[in-house]
Amino acid sequence: MVAHTRSARAARAARRLNQPRPALVEAHADGLPRRVNRQEVAVVREEWRVVDRWWTDEPVHRRYFDIVLETGEHTVVYHDDDTGWNGSGSWFTQRA
Amino acid sequence: MLAAVVIPAFDLRAALRPRPRLQSAPAALAPLPGKDQLVGSVTGAAEAKGVRPGMRLGEALAMCPELVLVEQDPATAEQAWEEILRRLEDAGFGVEPVEPGLCYFDAKGVERLYGGLEPALKRALAAVGTAWEPRVGAAERRFAALAAANVARPGQALIVSDDRARSFLAPLPLQLLPLERERYEELEELGVRTIGQLAGLPGNAVAERLGPAGRRAWSLARGEEHGRIAPRKPATAIHETLEFPEAVGNELTLRRGLGVLLDRLLARPERAGRPPRKLAVWARLVGGASWRRTVTLREPTTDPARLRAALGAKLLELPAPALKLRLEVGELAEYTGEQLELNGVDGHGGDGFSAEGEAGRARLREGLRQVRAAVGAGGVSTVVEVAPWSRIPEARALLVPRDD
Repeated sequence: MVAHTRSARAARAARRLNQPRPALVEAHADGLPRRVNRQEVAVVREEWRVVDRWWTDEPVHRRYFDIVLETGEHTVVYHDDDTGWNGSGSWFTQRA
Repeated sequence: MLAAVVIPAFDLRAALRPRPRLQSAPAALAPLPGKDQLVGSVTGAAEAKGVRPGMRLGEALAMCPELVLVEQDPATAEQAWEEILRRLEDAGFGVEPVEPGLCYFDAKGVERLYGGLEPALKRALAAVGTAWEPRVGAAERRFAALAAANVARPGQALIVSDDRARSFLAPLPLQLLPLERERYEELEELGVRTIGQLAGLPGNAVAERLGPAGRRAWSLARGEEHGRIAPRKPATAIHETLEFPEAVGNELTLRRGLGVLLDRLLARPERAGRPPRKLAVWARLVGGASWRRTVTLREPTTDPARLRAALGAKLLELPAPALKLRLEVGELAEYTGEQLELNGVDGHGGDGFSAEGEAGRARLREGLRQVRAAVGAGGVSTVVEVAPWSRIPEARALLVPRDD
């Protein structure tokens, strides 16, 4: 019998940091978020796209928004463009 | 019941406060320099002579040669609006401001306080002040409340019950709906002039012809919008002012002035250690006009260098030399501390613990041991960067349990 090495044990239990979390977002017709988790959006500070891994079975196609809510809270949300605009699971929050 | 408070032509009323005599004369807000030459809000006397807001300046003057043009004063208007909101909040109304001259509140919470809906609305009108000639509309839906406030007389509170909301809205003009001017014209060409006529059209046809904005207007016309009120958090009243002996247009002097204001503001005890999240720079310009810019910080901070960098850039936008400079705190963060990075723990990072040296590391190790004892194996983890260059945030680092 061979015991696991420490690195193997660690790798087995390791998890990704900063995983996206589902968010409740209402968007305008042009895709800009209007309300995030029931809070009105005050300002969309920045917007950018991440398109990556298109050559794999799990392509990444996201539209990120750096926003400030009416409450003053600063947050980043993204829309997963692969799941369609009105899909309930298509919006996420994430520290970018 | 939701209530809307409306003060028509608020920007003009605010600009005319120092010259009340002009309120009964034909007057209009002058266009901003460098912008389209269109007049802003107009007084009743100007309207009676055919001058309309948004009319070309030349046309307005041809229509009414004695028209007095009043310089826009957005900072005074914003300040006056803030005072009104505070008076409403002091009276117990949780207000949601939309723009200067329009705010909403939910009357449900205050009805019992004032012995009914109508006394509560009267109290709101009194809080705003009769000089502003405010109107209040109340209904179950936001748009109906707004429409009621728009048709109410000065100082009147108009209540529209839900069962008669649609019949109340039906004869009102389309201009109450949030649509672009071209859309109104398009609808008028089609013979649709009232909200009721629009509500009677098939929704799909409206959406096809006018797009999403038209579809939304159609829903509002049918009274299908619910809408909730999101009251604002009352703003913090912390500000510092600096008056210059003579007008200053020099950037360096203005930046130094801003630095002085910043130091004074950060020293104010009302802040109670909380870092500002939102700040505003205000200036009184040569010639009497005012200027104001708001800055929302990415991260609330009390670092004077970062605050100077964020605010200093705004000073470059000053259109004329300033006689007075003011710095206001719009909003403070709710916390006082800041979690800093624990550098140098493993002996090869930064020097976060160098002040305490080995003793500090030993204390930290002991602390981590206690955490493990309390929550079990896997309670302490290390962040291991695996692809820090990745554009996908969750691919950059792993959280690896640490058992040593």
